[in-house]
Parts: sequence; C-alpha cells; structure tokens
Amino acid sequence: MSMVDVLNGNQAAAKGAALSRPDVVAAYPITPQTPLVEYLTQFVANGELEAFMSEVESEHSAMSVVTGASLAGSRTFTATSSQGLALMYEPYFRASTLRLPVVMAIVNREMISPQTVWGGPQDSMTLRDAGWIQIYVEDNQEILDMIIQAYKIGEDSRVLLPVNICYDGFYLSHLTERVEIPDQNSVDKFLPDYTPTHIKLDPKIPMAVDPLTTGDLLMEYREKHMVAQQNALKVIQEVNEDFNKVFGRNHHGLLEKYRCDDADVILISLGSMTGAAREAVDYHREKGLAVGLLKIRSLRPFPQEEVSEVLAGRQAIGVVDRNVSFGWNTGILYQEIRSALYEKEKPVPILPFIGGLGGEDLRIEAFISCIDRLKEARGTQQKNYPRTCWLNKKGG
Amino acid sequence: MKVADYLNQCEEIISPGISACVGCNVELTLRTIMRVLGKNTIFAVPPGCMGGVGVVGWNKQSGAKAPVFFPLLDNTASMLSGIKAHYLREGREVNVVAFAGDGATVDAGFQCLSGAAERGDNIIYICYDNEGYMNTGYQRSGSTSKGSWTSTTPVSTTGKGGKKQHKKNFPMLMAMHDIPYVATISPAYIDDMVKKVQHAMTVKDGLAYLHILNPCLTGWGVDPKRSIEVSRLSVQTRYFPLFEVINGEYRLNREIKKPKPLEEFLKLNKKFSHLNEEEIADLQANVDRNWGRLVALCS
Repeated sequence: MSMVDVLNGNQAAAKGAALSRPDVVAAYPITPQTPLVEYLTQFVANGELEAFMSEVESEHSAMSVVTGASLAGSRTFTATSSQGLALMYEPYFRASTLRLPVVMAIVNREMISPQTVWGGPQDSMTLRDAGWIQIYVEDNQEILDMIIQAYKIGEDSRVLLPVNICYDGFYLSHLTERVEIPDQNSVDKFLPDYTPTHIKLDPKIPMAVDPLTTGDLLMEYREKHMVAQQNALKVIQEVNEDFNKVFGRNHHGLLEKYRCDDADVILISLGSMTGAAREAVDYHREKGLAVGLLKIRSLRPFPQEEVSEVLAGRQAIGVVDRNVSFGWNTGILYQEIRSALYEKEKPVPILPFIGGLGGEDLRIEAFISCIDRLKEARGTQQKNYPRTCWLNKKGG
Repeated sequence: MKVADYLNQCEEIISPGISACVGCNVELTLRTIMRVLGKNTIFAVPPGCMGGVGVVGWNKQSGAKAPVFFPLLDNTASMLSGIKAHYLREGREVNVVAFAGDGATVDAGFQCLSGAAERGDNIIYICYDNEGYMNTGYQRSGSTSKGSWTSTTPVSTTGKGGKKQHKKNFPMLMAMHDIPYVATISPAYIDDMVKKVQHAMTVKDGLAYLHILNPCLTGWGVDPKRSIEVSRLSVQTRYFPLFEVINGEYRLNREIKKPKPLEEFLKLNKKFSHLNEEEIADLQANVDRNWGRLVALCS
C-alpha cells in the first residue's frame, strides 16, 4: 500500500532513491543538496536502504565511485548542486560516454560568482551537451516518481544512459508538500534489477574498457550515443505511461501542455516556476486572452518534434529562462525552442525572458507581464527579436 | 621455492607485444606483479606510460588477460572504490588494483587516493614512480627529485637549473594515513616485490599501498642495459630505502649498513649530469636525513 506523507524535495528524492534499491550510493554534501545526503546516510544506518554508502571526499570522487560501481554492474545513485557539479564535470561527461545508467539528482543552484547558494538551473543546463538525459521537474511528487522512472529509462537497452532528475534548490529542496510514497513491492515490480549486458568489469568475463581509440571508431561511439538519446524520447513517454498505469500519476513525459489547445500565444516554462506561470495563464484566460503554457520536462533529449507540433500556428511565443546563455543575449531554453521551430514554423515572434536568477522569486506578476508582452507581440515582425526582457525589480 | 620458479608457474596476464621502451623496468614490474595477482583481478591503468604502451589496449586489441580499464588521471582510487563496493555487495573476493604512475598518484590523484585510504576502502594501490610525466616526454611532477633535469625544469646553457624542490616523500605520506599496509619496492629485488604483493593481497581491512621506484631509461638518460643496476643502486645508496609498514609497525627490508655514495647512483643518470659538488652534497644530506627518520621509525 502506498502512503501519504509531507516531504520536502530532498526527502522526496531520498525516498525515490531508496525505493529504487541502489547497490552503491556516493555523495558529497553541498547546499542545497546536503539534507538529501543526510537522509540517505540515515536510511542506510536504519537498515531501510541496503546499499554500500561511500562518504567521499569530493563530488569528483562521488561521480567516480558510482561510475566504478556501475562499471562493475551496480545500480547507483548520487546527487549534487552547482559547484559540486562543476567539479565533477570530468567524470560526469565520462559516465555518459561509458553508457552507464547512473542516476543523479541535481538540486539546481546558481553558479558563482558573485557568491550565491540559491536556486537556478544554470549548473545543469550549462552541461546539457555532456550526453546525459536531463529531466526537470516541478514539484516534490515529481521528484520522487521521476527518480524511480529515471532508472527505468536509463537502464532500458535502447537507451543505456545516465539520467539527471533536476529540481530547483530551496523552492523544492526545502519546501514541504504532500507526497504519495509508493509501496516497495509495486516499485520492485515496476523496476526490475539492473543487469548490464553491454559493459562490465568482472574477472569472469575479462574485458578491456576504453582502450585507446581512433577517430573513426570514436565517431561510431558518438553516433550510437546520439541514437540512444533519440531513442530516449520514446522511452521517456513509454515509462511515463507504464508508471501512470501502475501508480495512477501522469507526469506527461517529455513536456506538459496547459490550456494550449485553442491558445493564440504560448508561454514556455521549466521547473518549479511553472506553478506561478499557470496562475498567470488563468488570470489572462479570465480576461479573455487565449493563452497556454508549455512546460518542458526533458531538456536532453530535446523533444524537437513535440515542441514544434505544440507551437505550430501560434501567434506569439515566450520563453522564460532562469539561466543565461552567455554570448547569445538570451537564456538557454530560448535557444532550444528557436532551433526546434526553425524548419517547421513560419517566423512568429519568440520572446526571450530571463528572471529568477540566484534564487530570486519568479512571481505570478512577472508571468502576467510576460503574457502582456506576448499579447502585444502578436502579428508583429520577428526581426525585432530577440531582445531579452529581464524580469527583475527594475523591469519585467 | 625459488622466486623464479614460483613466477614461472604463475600465468602471464600481460599480453606479449606491448610497446614499452627497450629495457623498461616498469614493464618487468607490471608483468611480475600481475603474475602474482592472477586472473581474479580488475586493474586500473590511468593515463601514463603503461596506458600509452597498450596495456589497456589499442586498435581493438587488449594488452591484458584480466579486466582492465583507463580511469581518469585523477580518479583512479575512487573508481576502484566503486568497483570494490560492488564486489563487497555481491560477496565476491576480487583483487581491485591500481597500477598508476607518480603523476596520477602524488599530484592529480592524491586527493581521491587520500580519501580512499581514510575511508578504508579495500583496494591495492600500486604507484610506479618514475619521477615525472614520462608518457608525455618527462615533465616535472611532485615526485621528481631535486636537481633533476626535466622538460619543464630545464638546465640553462651554462649548466644551471633542474628542479628546485625535493620530491614528496610519498610512501611516508601514505603511511601517515594509518592504513594496514604500505611498502616500497624496487625492480632490482624481485623476491621482495613478490612477497610484498602477496602481503597486499591478504589485506582485507583497508587500503594497501605499494610504491615502486622505476628509473625511466629514456627520461632519466640511463643506458638500457643498466636498467636494473640503477634500480639496485637507488636502494644501495639509501636513495630509495626498501621498507614496509604493517599496521603501523615499520620494518626496514634492506639494512644497507655500508651505503654507497649517492654519486654512484647519480652519475648513471644523465638528468643529474649538470649537478656540481655542492648540489650533490645537498642531495646526499637529504638522503641521510630521510634515512635517519626511517631508522628511528623502525627502531
């Protein structure tokens, strides 16, 4: 029987990880992920989680320990934030290119400088091209459910890739919400044991992992990795459907549409900001504007087809980024959306918004003003954009 | 049984035909150690000479008959910790072993090795110390001895230069982690090497650390046929004492009551050829100081 509890995001992540029965966990504490490490070590101490827990001396080693364990055939879990993720970049990239289905929660935190500890997905979004699957979630239920789903997605033989479940620091990590915790038996049935068939360090079946490799062979590796990312588009949807059947919760796979069917303008969000954005959509709907909201869940693989399908025939589109893409004068998600639309859509205004950096609140008013701008932009020429609108105290 | 007979009956794990330099004593060391460790071993060879010569593999062929992989330069110990964690969970005894150069050990990889040692992860970590980054043409490392010419501590046209600092006393640093086993090894003393590897295999309650001084013939400028002679001289001059630390107890494995002058070792290495009498005396004083401390710890 599932049970209902009140959990913060880190507790939800710890529960999701424990229910997935990892063999080896390694993690190094960093704000705002720290309580997650404490919950996991407590679970191990209580015997609620039968895993080898490695209290490593750095994030670099956290990723290295889980990579080693996964190479030997273990199911593994780790978690980090911000500077910790930056430190683990070297083994992070390698976990994906070794095709190891490691699962890592990223408790999104802004990158320094200036010094900050608060939320924002700049950390993981900057690493979007390191070969991992990256799924961004909105609430604590999604955190718990998606960590379980992450193993099923990553371990699928069509995918075999590591998966990040990314959630905003503090807004989710330290916020308590009602969360339904599935029972262990149902999770066990949903998520069978991991048995690697593609790579394994085992004296019974000796193999050399990563000998020096020439460019033509390396290109073959990259091509297959790219195919695996594309396969994941399908697998993410399938796993979402399977999960919904068993547990009765639909998290909508690659993306989630809200009041999009008849919408003239669409605002696009990612992560915990989505709740406030929904309220703003409702506000404008009441005032008669046909506006919808599109929440991007899977940044990698990027659901290009699905996004362009949702956005086809709209009059204006807005993207709210809680991050920046230096050198583009916009956020990262904005660039992704624009690229996805290039071939399919006749040019329409696509407005870039940036706000909520360094943990700043993205209030309903900010989204209302974004939609106001979309309303004005309908039918205007694309060439006036992009000019990023900063959702800060001065403007927005 | 004589050590040669013992080794002869052990299976060769390293493939023939790897492309190490002529006379390389690291290849000899690796072949010997892997014979002792046997097939029930997973070993890591981070970027360095032995990776470069094809021990992990090249062109779709592997250089080993046991599972082998390239860790990153700086995460050998922690990747092995993860592998060992898996086999502990599975309840299987497997030798989980690093064969890493000094760059991957005393410099970039030190943090994670220190972490694994402190946590008591049950791995065998072997450092082949050739006193620099040899695979890329001999750049200085924290393990390069004072006075050495390297490509990044060059000697001027007037004969001045070389590395300005003494090498890290790395076996002693590892001993200070209070791990169950630390030992130094020389390829000139194969019987001692075999015993120490065998002892490392019996350690089950923490990390076993083996430090081997392997003169690099091309980098140091040593005549290939004198490869083992130079190795032996490093011990006979007390430059590289053979000792072991078993659960905190220090033992000298070669007494060296009448040490040869350090100069006898130095003069066979081209990398020291620019040193003057004063600089040689400084190196000799350092050797004497380190020996004195070791003897005090052993008594």
